[in-house]
This record gives sequence, C-alpha cells and structure tokens, in this order.
Amino acid sequence: MCFRSKHSLVATLAAVGLLSAAAAPAQQQTGSSPDLAPPGAATKPPAAPPSWQQGRGAEHEKSTLHPFAPHLTGRPSSELPLDKLKVPAGFKVEVWAEGVPEARSLTLGDKGTVFAANRNLSNVYAIVDRNGKREVKTILKGLSAPNGVLFDKGTLYVAERGRITRYDGIEDKLDNPPQPKVVIDNLDPYKQAGHFWKYLAMGPDGKLYFNIGSPQNITMPTYMQAAILRVDPKTGRLEDYAHGVRNTVGMAFHPVSKQLWFTEHGRDWLGDDMPSDELNVATKQGQHFGFPYCHQGDTLDPEYGKNRSCDQFTPPVAKLGAHVAPLGIRFYTGKMFPAEYKNSLFLARHGSWNRNTKQGYDVIRVVIDAKGKVVKTEPFLQGFLTDDKADPPMWGRPVDVLVMRDGALLVSDDYNGIIYRVSYRK
Amino acid sequence: MQAIPQIRQAAAILVAALPFFAAHAASAADAAAAKQKAAACAACHGPEGNSTNPAIPSIAGQPKQFIVTQLFMFREGNRKDPQMSPMAAPLSNADMNELAGYFSAQKHAPAAKPLPADRIAVGRVVTEKYNCTQCHGPQLLGQQHIPRLAGQQPQYLKTQLRGFKASTRFDMDGQMTSAAQVLTEQDIELLGDYLSSLDAPGK
Repeated sequence: MCFRSKHSLVATLAAVGLLSAAAAPAQQQTGSSPDLAPPGAATKPPAAPPSWQQGRGAEHEKSTLHPFAPHLTGRPSSELPLDKLKVPAGFKVEVWAEGVPEARSLTLGDKGTVFAANRNLSNVYAIVDRNGKREVKTILKGLSAPNGVLFDKGTLYVAERGRITRYDGIEDKLDNPPQPKVVIDNLDPYKQAGHFWKYLAMGPDGKLYFNIGSPQNITMPTYMQAAILRVDPKTGRLEDYAHGVRNTVGMAFHPVSKQLWFTEHGRDWLGDDMPSDELNVATKQGQHFGFPYCHQGDTLDPEYGKNRSCDQFTPPVAKLGAHVAPLGIRFYTGKMFPAEYKNSLFLARHGSWNRNTKQGYDVIRVVIDAKGKVVKTEPFLQGFLTDDKADPPMWGRPVDVLVMRDGALLVSDDYNGIIYRVSYRK
Repeated sequence: MQAIPQIRQAAAILVAALPFFAAHAASAADAAAAKQKAAACAACHGPEGNSTNPAIPSIAGQPKQFIVTQLFMFREGNRKDPQMSPMAAPLSNADMNELAGYFSAQKHAPAAKPLPADRIAVGRVVTEKYNCTQCHGPQLLGQQHIPRLAGQQPQYLKTQLRGFKASTRFDMDGQMTSAAQVLTEQDIELLGDYLSSLDAPGK
C-alpha cells in the first residue's frame, strides 16, 4: 500500500472547537493554574489522523509502523551494498543508470530512449545510451505527480494527477521538448489527496488504460474512484473499464490473450497477514474487483463488507502477500532469457511498511501456463531487504520493470534513483 | 620458531587494518571539508546550525534525510524562499548529502525559554490531539524526512504553519497542508511557542 498524500481535508468541527478552546486560556499568560487543561479535551474526538493512519483501529493505536520516504536526491551506487543483490543462476544484475531521482514508471522509445517518471517529484527523465554510458536528461519539469509514462508510435503519453497529455515526436526533441497536447483533463475534480497518481498502459484497442485509486485507505469511493478507466487518444472519449480496484500502479496486456493484468494494493491496518495484495485479470469491461467490500477475493471488510458476499466480485488470480505493495508488471517478450521465461510476468514489489516483519522489496516472476493460469510465483531479484525488523528494513525499493530490445530487464528503484539491468548469458 | 607465526599474524593484522586507517583519514578530511562548506549556512542558521534568530530555523540535529529533502526542494524550485533558493541553486546532490550529514551530526541547542507550566500542559494536549506526535515522533524529534520540532525557532514554526494552512508552503505529500487546516491563529501561536520551548533548559 502506498504512502503519502492520501488525505481528505477532513476538518473535524469538534477539533476546531477544541483547539480554539485550548488556546484561549493560554493567551492570558498568567502563570500556573491547575485548571488550564483545554476544556473538554478529554472527551472530544481527536483531529483527523495523518492519511496513512486512516482506518486504523484501537488495537493498532500504539503501533509505530509508518511509511518510508525516498531519498529525493538519489544516492550514488558506490554507497550501496550492490553485492547483496541476488538473481537466479546464469543471470547478472548491474547498475544501468543512476542519478535519476525518484525513478518510478518506465517506458521505452522506438529509438531506444528510456523514459522514467516521478510521483512525489515533478519531472520526467529521458535516459539515452551514449556508447555504453547512460546520459540522464530532465525533459519535463513542474508536472503534477507525473507517475504514468507510456511511449507508443513516436508519442510519449504522460499521466499526471489530473490529466493525460501527449508529446509527439519527443525522441527527436529531447533537448527541446514540444508543448503538450491534452488527451483528457479534469480527472481530479475534488483536488483532495488520495491514491491519484496514475499508471498508463496501451490496450490492444489503441486506448490508454489508467487508474484512479481510492481516496483513502478504506472509505467509500466515488464513481470515478477505485476504478480503471480508458480513454481513446484520438477522440478523448472516456469509459469506465473496471471498478472495485483500490489502487493499481501496474498494468500490462497479456501478449496472447490480450487481457488486462494488473496489480492491486490491499487495505492497511487489518494486521500483518491480512489482506493479501492482488494480481488480477480483467477478462471484459465492467467487472468489479471487490474494494471496499471484499479483500483478496475471499474476505469481507469488517465495516464495508456487512451485507455483502465475496462471490459478487471478481477474485484475484494470485495473492501476492500482505502489504508487499506490488507495482509495475511486464510480460517477458524478449529473446535473451531462457525459453521458459517467455510470457512470464515480472512483477516489482515495493515492500511493506504496514507489517511488523517486513516483506517484499523484490522482483518476482509469475509463471503462467498456456491457458493463462498462474502456475506459481518465484523470486527473481532479491537482496534489497536486509533486516525485516529494522527501520528502515531495506536499502532499495523496486518500482517498475521494462523489457529492453536486447531482452534484458530494467528495474527502477525510487528509493535511490537508480535503474538496474538484469541480463542472462548461457 | 614459534615467533614467526606470531610475527606473521601481527603483520597480517596490520595489513588488514591499513584500509581502516586510510578510510579514517579520508573521513576526517571529508568532515573538515563538510565543515568548511557548512560555514556559508552558519551565517544565517548559526554556529553548527543552531539559529539564534526566531525567524530562521535551527538545522543542527535535524534528521539527515529531512535536510537533504528540503535542500533538494529549494534547488528544484518546489519550495521557494528569497534567501534559500539562491543558496541551494548551485548545490550538487553530493553537496546536499554532505551538508546534511554534517548538520544532522551537530548537537541541537535549545531555542527558547521555558514556558509557564500551564501553557506546557495545554501544548502537550494539543500536539497529541492534533497528531503532531504521530509523524514527528513522541518526543517531536523527527524521523527520516520529517523534521525535528522540539526546540525549533518559534517564529519560523509559526510561519510554516500559516503557510501550510494557506496552501502556500510546499508540501511533498499533503500531510501538513491537511493537518494545518483546523488551526486557528491562536493555535498557531500556542504551537510555535510550545514546540520551541520543548528542550529549554530547566524545563
């Protein structure tokens, strides 16, 4: 589950009353008096908690669990314990680019440019290979949570919090990017905090698929929230595609079935092992994936699940572990890795914070059979998690994966601003 | 004959220790370089980063990640200030990490005089009810990218709170903007005075 910036500006009126009352006696500055505790402070409800605590029950009131913030400057790879990284036999992992602050979603240009996006920062970067050395250019600045990037037929699409824009012919203009054209605007009518950074995927129908997440940890979403939508970039026509999706920040279409696979973050504060985060498949338009009523396909929410049944909703095709925060996914369509990797799904797990013993912080391989069924998941890139009880427990956090033309796999790490490359040699 | 293995062992230890001495010397040189760079900051933020100006924040003893984050935000133009923006503009990421490392390691000096006991009691209730302690920590000493509030300069704290409330102060994740919405001007005065007094001598 993700961190930062989910908040409604819930100003509790009771709290306003409390603080005004609290400050009033203090104004007098008359020295000690035994009765100067704020009137009624003990009985009035506290102010709205920080957004990441929304939905936290009394049993977790003393919890010290908290999200982790990235190092926004990035960190030099020379300071990182790269020797801890582990990949299967025959594979090799190395630093491909560094100095890409808060590197999040990745997309690949026709001419080999890798574009990387930001969530807390406001930039889009282009990384170009110059004779084996990577040059990082900041091509777009000042955007609003531009987490979604997608390159298609010469155009870079960028999904910001409230709009999707296109930059045509960008690869020829990296030093002088064109002004954006708006594909769709007004995707953020409420301006409140929430899971509103986006991921972009291009459908086989030529439409852009993207998410609008839930406004908080666990509350009732509006019609445009906790949803996957799609927009036709030619016409700007917008459609709902799926509902009941708390927050997906990873989508990809299966190379054979052409169905939409996506990761989903489950809610927080139901304990260390509940609920599991999900890998889902949308087989058609209009499916409901359960949020906020049913979690992990089989467990009703203690509050919103009353009077519901999980069989009303589409269950996940795989449970990925509680709080592991699954993000970017890509099907392996390259030729470098062994043949059995063909059409396997690589999936980045950003790692848990809402769990006493941390887990995730890795890239896993999801093995899928010819009928599209998940056979198993297995570790692929590990070693970022160094002490599952420490604070912080990790030195790096995978966000997105990208299959390169040569078949190597890139992995972005927003904690350090680094992109790794995993390759294979027989 | 028994002496030889011992000598060999001693030599081995010495050789093994050499990189340590080299690293130690390098880190001492790095620390001296960091202190020299930090002199420019001390002009406003005070010696070792302990400000004596109520409007300028102390940066001594702040979490390293907090200092780096703010310098980065000033350089990138997300957070703007007539004094700080030009100071941050020429800094490289490495400079920021170095400066932050230096100031986070300095001892924090108290900012303000202790308050009367009744104001302390009110302040304590308010910081808990308003969830300050949820992110800034039970002692309000900060963590990761979240600043230490205990003993910070009062006027600086109040200016930030007013900025968050007005949505004019840059806020990476919206948490403070949201938290400040319920604050009245009286609340802001109380919070600034209380927080700045937290590590006052004789408290």
